[in-house]
Amino acid sequence: MDLTFTPAEERFRVELRAWLADNIPPRWRSRSFWSAIGAAEAFELRRDWERRKYDAGFAGISWPREYGGRGGTPGMQAIYDEETQRAGAPPTVNALGLAFLAPTVMAIGTDEQKRDIIGPMLRNEVIWCQGFSEPGAGSDLAALRTTGVLDGDEFIVNGQKVWTTNAVYADKMFALVRTEPGSQRHRGISMLLIDMRSDGVDARPLRQLSGASEFGEVFFTDVRVKVTDCLGGAGDGWSTAMLLLSFERGASGIAQYTAFRGQFDEIVAAAAAFGRTGDPILRQRLASRIVELECLRYHSMHILTQIEKGAELGAESSLTKLQWSHTHQELWETFDDLLGPEATLTRPRPDADLRGMQHEAMWSRSVTIWGGSSQVQRNIIAERLLGLPR
Amino acid sequence: MYFALTDEQRALGETVRAYLADRFDLTAVRAVFEDQHGDGNPTELWKAIGAYGWLAVCVPAEHDGLGLGLADAQVVARAFGAGAVPGPWLPTVLAGEALRLAGSDEQKRSLLPAVASGALVATVAPRGPAGRYDPSGVRVTADEAGRLTGSALPVEYAETAQIIVVAAVEPAGEVGLYLVEPELPGVAVTGLENYDGTVRTASVVLDGVPGQRLPGSSTAVFSDLLDRGAVLTAGDLVGLAREALRRTVAYDRDRVQFGRAVGSFQALKHHLADLHVAVTMSEHAVLYAAHALDAGLADCRLAVAVAKSKASDTAREVTAAMIQYHGGIGYTWEHDAHFFYKRAKREVYSYGDPVQHRDRIAALTIGRIPSTTVDGVPPTLAVP
Repeated sequence: MDLTFTPAEERFRVELRAWLADNIPPRWRSRSFWSAIGAAEAFELRRDWERRKYDAGFAGISWPREYGGRGGTPGMQAIYDEETQRAGAPPTVNALGLAFLAPTVMAIGTDEQKRDIIGPMLRNEVIWCQGFSEPGAGSDLAALRTTGVLDGDEFIVNGQKVWTTNAVYADKMFALVRTEPGSQRHRGISMLLIDMRSDGVDARPLRQLSGASEFGEVFFTDVRVKVTDCLGGAGDGWSTAMLLLSFERGASGIAQYTAFRGQFDEIVAAAAAFGRTGDPILRQRLASRIVELECLRYHSMHILTQIEKGAELGAESSLTKLQWSHTHQELWETFDDLLGPEATLTRPRPDADLRGMQHEAMWSRSVTIWGGSSQVQRNIIAERLLGLPR
Repeated sequence: MYFALTDEQRALGETVRAYLADRFDLTAVRAVFEDQHGDGNPTELWKAIGAYGWLAVCVPAEHDGLGLGLADAQVVARAFGAGAVPGPWLPTVLAGEALRLAGSDEQKRSLLPAVASGALVATVAPRGPAGRYDPSGVRVTADEAGRLTGSALPVEYAETAQIIVVAAVEPAGEVGLYLVEPELPGVAVTGLENYDGTVRTASVVLDGVPGQRLPGSSTAVFSDLLDRGAVLTAGDLVGLAREALRRTVAYDRDRVQFGRAVGSFQALKHHLADLHVAVTMSEHAVLYAAHALDAGLADCRLAVAVAKSKASDTAREVTAAMIQYHGGIGYTWEHDAHFFYKRAKREVYSYGDPVQHRDRIAALTIGRIPSTTVDGVPPTLAVP
């Protein structure tokens, strides 16, 4: 057992921590700051900050240097995940591109795609969104119906994508499109890289129950996409997508632990301000949240160990997702229970503004849906890890 | 970063499991389970436990032990839980820990080699009737001369043990640990029938019995000892939970109703998947807590409380699901499910139940409230 990081990794932590301390304005750590400014302004602020982070050498921590990354270890990536959360750094605006598209391009992209996609993404010159889900294809992704018909050296794309994070801010989309007419299920699909500024692309925001519009829907009407803007082979889109989703398995859960452990303290402080931390039953519930949070921390150390050993995590990422998402959800249910009637008031007292926390509580309803719903994760665990029949 | 069992620890676990599969499977467990009047400690099994060194894990090398730690001992505990293994392994190891932590050189020299070899069966009496597993739960007092009066229960294998480590409240208010020989006058050991037939339990009543004090003992050492008991018990719980889940999944893969395997129904699948997550998290938690105690990490007390509460809740749910997802056969005496269910029930309440451990977690993370009893700091220390 060795729960330490190497001296080089710890030096990286010191360096990163110092940079974060100098480059995150204190007001950014307050929830009310972000809820007070508009979504568009917040997006630009984050985009610009992330660009400066790139210039300082803190982008693409574990990416190879040849792609502009830092060439760091999995331990450095975990330290990065932890320290950025501890410092209250704003979340990346290019999450899906950085986590999923970039490693896929590195693995199977053409030389031109590697050159044109990775660098600009790392510098946030190009923001990516993911075009997988459709109105009729959610958990059942293979039911997708958006079509791409070959016309010379272009596909003509028609259809609709939905639940698209960053739909209205993104410059490009990696999309699953049915490019073989009449094909069924996972055959005949291609992963096309679509310019969101093309004629015929219409991106509209969707308002979530939290009130925010982090995602949207995208309509395609005769959108022209060059055949060279296909990632992986034409018709091989399903296996490209499976490869892409497998990169989720590099995430240990330490970022979530660090963020949620901070939220726990925030919730306790709010409850204390209303004199609600003495009730023995609520204390038991809070303690249960710590149990699950600490289990998430131990689990992230386990995952990091496996990554460092080069082990294939496979379906184990479904455990990570279930553990962090349900821990988050129950944490914010506990917040409601602690504050009681006050929990529903945006300003229960002149000195108490609960909007930011309420937004987090509302957002928690989404975490067990996106990225593979809990029900899908349970099927994966039951079938692939426990060996139960389909 | 290396958070995993070492190759040696993995090999240790495999050795224990291979021995049990070969020499002490659930048929053998059943014989002990149904022999309520037997001592619950089959001779051949105990000899093997001693010969293989499974009692020697935490004993220092200078006293003929292996000089390892709880991270290694929990490997054995998990394998024993998976096998629902009867016998005084856990209380003997824990008595050895008391000696190691607080014994005099002479006490260690004379007793630890016998703990390590299995020549000695020992147990601990940390708690009195209706007490918590903390200093407030001790129902034995020691006078200035070290004479012990009071009672403890349930004490595992007190009828078999040659030495009992008794916790007693001393005149100054500290909790001391005392070695008591059961044959001494004034000691009454009475077997208490336990519905978990994989263990034997008794009450120990003391009336002015001269105890041999462990000179290094204190309330802090007593609390540390309880934490070690909690981690080993959590190890047993998580081992039996993993095995109960494995057996349930295997059954539901084969059991056909409505023309298909019942394990293909999502009502079962999803719950079994959740249980797999819970068992996996419990395994992480027990490993972390054992390491935290071995290494003296700053969060070791929190880690113990997390591990014991998580493993307890998980084992209770998994063993109940084992009965439910076997259907009627799972509710019969002849099926093995009740070994796991009853063993889990007993262990959930041993060395602090989930409520007690969550009280500790709350105190450690959101602060104390003055009127509660946390970690043995009650407003009054009531000793009958």
